[in-house]
Amino acid sequence: MSDVLLVAGVPPQPGFLSSAVHRLQEAGARVHLVGAVDTEDLPADVRLDGLCALPGDIAKALLARAAARATPGERVWARIRRERWAREQARNADVLVALDPHAIYTVWRMAQRNVGADARYGVQPAVQAVIGRQGTPPPGALQRLASNLPSRGMVRRNLTHIINSAPRAAIDAVTARPVMRSKAGTQLWLAAVRTPKISDRLRTKVARQVAKGMDWADRPEGEALILTATAQKLRTPASRARMLGDAASRELKAGIPPRNLNSAVDALLAIADERHRAGKQTPAANLLNRAMKLAFDRVLHIDRLTSPLAEDPEGFIAPFRNSLAATTVAAPRGRKQPAAKPPTDRPLRLLIATSANDNFLKLIRAHYESHPQVEIRYLDLAADSKLKSVTWAATQMLEQRLSAEETPYGANAEEQLRPHLDWADTVFVDWCVAPAALFTILDPGTTRIVVRLHSYETLSRWPYMVDFSRIDDLVFVADHIKDLTTTLVPYLQGPDAPRMHVLDNAMDLGGFQIDKPSDARFQLGMVGISQVAKDPLWALEVLRQVRRHDDRYQLLLVGGDMNPNVSVASRKYLDTLNRELEELETVGAVRRFGPTDDVPKVLADVGVILSSSVREGCHCGLMEGAASGAVPVVRDWPFFAGRPSSARTLYPQGWVVGSPEEAAERILQTTATEETWRAAGDEASTHALGEWDWPVVKQHFDRLILGDHVI
Amino acid sequence: MSTAIKKAEYTPAMPTSRELSSSSATGRGRRDGRPHLIYLAIGFPPAAKSCAYRMRETANQFRRIGWDVTVVTIASTSWERDSGVDYSLLEQVDPGITVLELPLAREDLETDIRMFSEERALRPAKWVTDLRKREKRVFPEPVFGGWRDTIEEAVLGLHRQHPADLLLASCVPYVNLAAAWRLWETHRVPYAVDFRDGWSIDVVNGGVAFTEESEPGVWERRILDECQALWVVNDPIAEHYQDRYPHIAERVHVVRNGYDADSVTTVQPRRPDPEAGLVFGYLGTVNYNARQLGAVITAWRKARELEPLMRNARLEIRGHIGAGAAREANGLTELISTAAADGVSFGGPVLKAEVAETYANWDALVLILIGGRYVTSGKVYEYMATGLPIVSVHEIDHDASRVLDGHPLWTGACGLDEEGLIDSFRSAARMTIEATEAERAGVRAHAAPFTRETLMRQAVEQLAEGIVRGGADSTGVVSPPPRPRMTDESRQAGEVRA
Repeated sequence: MSDVLLVAGVPPQPGFLSSAVHRLQEAGARVHLVGAVDTEDLPADVRLDGLCALPGDIAKALLARAAARATPGERVWARIRRERWAREQARNADVLVALDPHAIYTVWRMAQRNVGADARYGVQPAVQAVIGRQGTPPPGALQRLASNLPSRGMVRRNLTHIINSAPRAAIDAVTARPVMRSKAGTQLWLAAVRTPKISDRLRTKVARQVAKGMDWADRPEGEALILTATAQKLRTPASRARMLGDAASRELKAGIPPRNLNSAVDALLAIADERHRAGKQTPAANLLNRAMKLAFDRVLHIDRLTSPLAEDPEGFIAPFRNSLAATTVAAPRGRKQPAAKPPTDRPLRLLIATSANDNFLKLIRAHYESHPQVEIRYLDLAADSKLKSVTWAATQMLEQRLSAEETPYGANAEEQLRPHLDWADTVFVDWCVAPAALFTILDPGTTRIVVRLHSYETLSRWPYMVDFSRIDDLVFVADHIKDLTTTLVPYLQGPDAPRMHVLDNAMDLGGFQIDKPSDARFQLGMVGISQVAKDPLWALEVLRQVRRHDDRYQLLLVGGDMNPNVSVASRKYLDTLNRELEELETVGAVRRFGPTDDVPKVLADVGVILSSSVREGCHCGLMEGAASGAVPVVRDWPFFAGRPSSARTLYPQGWVVGSPEEAAERILQTTATEETWRAAGDEASTHALGEWDWPVVKQHFDRLILGDHVI
Repeated sequence: MSTAIKKAEYTPAMPTSRELSSSSATGRGRRDGRPHLIYLAIGFPPAAKSCAYRMRETANQFRRIGWDVTVVTIASTSWERDSGVDYSLLEQVDPGITVLELPLAREDLETDIRMFSEERALRPAKWVTDLRKREKRVFPEPVFGGWRDTIEEAVLGLHRQHPADLLLASCVPYVNLAAAWRLWETHRVPYAVDFRDGWSIDVVNGGVAFTEESEPGVWERRILDECQALWVVNDPIAEHYQDRYPHIAERVHVVRNGYDADSVTTVQPRRPDPEAGLVFGYLGTVNYNARQLGAVITAWRKARELEPLMRNARLEIRGHIGAGAAREANGLTELISTAAADGVSFGGPVLKAEVAETYANWDALVLILIGGRYVTSGKVYEYMATGLPIVSVHEIDHDASRVLDGHPLWTGACGLDEEGLIDSFRSAARMTIEATEAERAGVRAHAAPFTRETLMRQAVEQLAEGIVRGGADSTGVVSPPPRPRMTDESRQAGEVRA
């Protein structure tokens, strides 16, 4: 049976559609329809096998201003291609049918990619195509490939001709999905892009087209392979660097760590240096930004269980340290005047700045808003469009830092920020990302600048765009984060480094003290599973270990699921996790609670709180669990394990374990009896409240913010 | 006769005119003394076109009188995208006829989107407009102008292989005329033209299609000046040409389409059964406009309400609708489908071999025709020969009216007048019940002189006679033949109309 995809650029007349569908179904086809359809006018006797009904005016509607000159056919295609269902049907259809002139272009485009399908204009030709297919076995992948694949020699010989004379149709045909999915297809195009004695322009053109085909075929690694192979043949270093960068970008976009990341970063930095030396700061900034974005993409560091930054921080950062442009950006400008001492005749003017994320600021703000010695202002840089535009402007920031003179961006940043700096005695910038870079673009005058770095910032590019010489106090949430940051930013190890502090996050832990029922003893809990780095599989292993001894142990997972689309690693991880969870949920060993606003209530039923992460700054969920009286069991976070500072130095001895077996042992030991369990829990709670509760931590903050300032 | 036709091989590398000059022209190089006709008949079977019957009969008649006949048409597959093919039409083709199929097809009717350029896919209407312009630059005829070189070269090649005594160009397409002229210019092979409906006359709307000074006008005059004969299908068209080109008036002949006897020989009127439902039928190319069809459906609907005999009546429309992408899927099919509840249906084309059987299942016929006094559909003769009542839906001043005038089971023409059409349907319904066998037989007898075989035999014999006579001229240049005499039979056919 053939699958037919009807495409409508304008709503088909009901009788016509009814007749078309019947005739095709009588000919033995499954009939699907996408496009302009007035569903209210669909005849009752039409039984489509699939329908994606779009507005009737898709041939007229503009999706973007740029589409003003688009033909009706292009508008229809632009709209239909957005529909995942339509793309899927287009790929699988045996016969693609344009029902009207405006639908022709869409079918034409679909047919370029689905080379095995018949592409027809009109119903009767479609019926003939369906009948013509009867009795013919569907072509296998190899057959399709063979019928569409030119010889390697032909491609090499005729490359110029193919590209210049028959551009889209020819290339589209030989970059079709089955071709691109095959090893032979990849080899063919690798040979083509390596053809000697052709211009960079032509080679680039071919590579881009082939890469597009790979993209359509969902083969980002093939796409990167083609672009990398092409780059190696390009004569112009700048073109080579850009193409290597493109190759790496495609892989990252697909969630894959690039194979040639180092080459791409090195090449981009080399050209950035060259441009910088030549006084061309705009392209230099662009290239440097690209190199940074590649090197610090979250696919490499956040959305997987390991990171090259954690494994070899200095080695990873070395190309930037060797780059003139990158070191110019990082070079300390210093400040003309030191920060003034806090005023004694009036309250301290404290500006707390962040960009949208105020998760860890609420208690701090509340505290200082009611503090008699502080006049506070809160600045959300994301809430004001002008401020937002200068905050997340990495390339312009880099250009400013690379330039000897003030750039228009620098002037704009000055204009936007100076009034705030002039007002404040102290600026507290939360998160060492764009806001910190922005505030240190400017000489703060006599205003004191305090920046807090939580954790993930160390895995981002932003610390390399911050001028630490303009920061007076740098706050970390844990020693191991401070250690990693100072390793990555050499300036922080020098004599002019800002004062560095380790202050625990502001948490109201008193609210977590709720009596636990006895059966909570066997209830393990974990708060936060939305990232791969939380590694809940480790927790499942711990659960299995303890259940071998006593199947009363259960695990409660609190929090939203992880997003499978951020990286291949995430997707694979989630697949595995779901498989294992399904098995454990079936026997009632695991429950998923989902996101909640009432964590204290949930934790009341948890007897053992786990931290299974591969990295953390300070694990708030664990701390909250400990405060609630749950027994803490903390994995020695692998990112920092064995270093001078790690989970073992952050938490009391005994809480931290090196393996699931050790974790199981600690759980079995501490929960052996209700007494031992309650005793261990009380001890943990006492520690948590004594160390991390806000009444304690706020004193540290007062010391940081106010010092000995007394009116 | 069998369906196995003899096919000539088309080779793109055709001989030059210099090479050909050594071969003789008229009457020279005959095989076994048989004269040779090159018949440009694009639409020859198996094309499922109305002109196919006339072409088939023409070629058969030349064979009958001992001519070698080479038909030049386009590849059978090219008709797939046009109005379709009907291989049963080949059954009546004389097996001695050689057919040369040229690798030509209407680009504008291409429905395989894979064959489209991106530009065509993006702007299909503009692409067709540009195509028309390109075609007209080659020969002043949109749609077919671009075929000129291929047809010319093919004709020259055929003449080299088998010298022709006569070329007969059946138009449409008019680009055939360029090939006729080329052969005449280079080898003085005489030619005749079967215009059927005429070129410089707009047969649908009436009036002149183009002036004498225009490019097609110049072509038409040039061609007709030298032609042996010009065939047209009815008197009004003949008069147009005789008025426009008085110097060739004697060479203009009315060669009516007629009907194929085998299409109606087996029609045995069924017993009308109003309770089960009278069946009205239309058979032919559905080339009329929506307004005309709309009027038919409206009148049909009301007639069914008013006429007890029509309470369960059905109207079956059979034939070809549309071409290319719009084949069997245009506004007319949509209109028909909206009247399904009123017993109106479209049943698709009918194979030639099944025409008689189709008529046999109907009680009355509906003759829907475009145009006016210059149009005579071939169907009118066939309809008449069935002996069934006929409802006319066409202009009052239509050539079909002249053909049908006096037909006892004809309801008369009233244009698109709604009341008139309602009355026509009701009258026809009554006729189905009331008509006597004698009346039906009388009608069939009146139609008898219009068999295609009869009409074409006369025309072909006259044309051939002139050529054979002219071929004896030692100069090799053929003079335009004298006006063919009217035979008694053709006079009789004319008298039936009166």
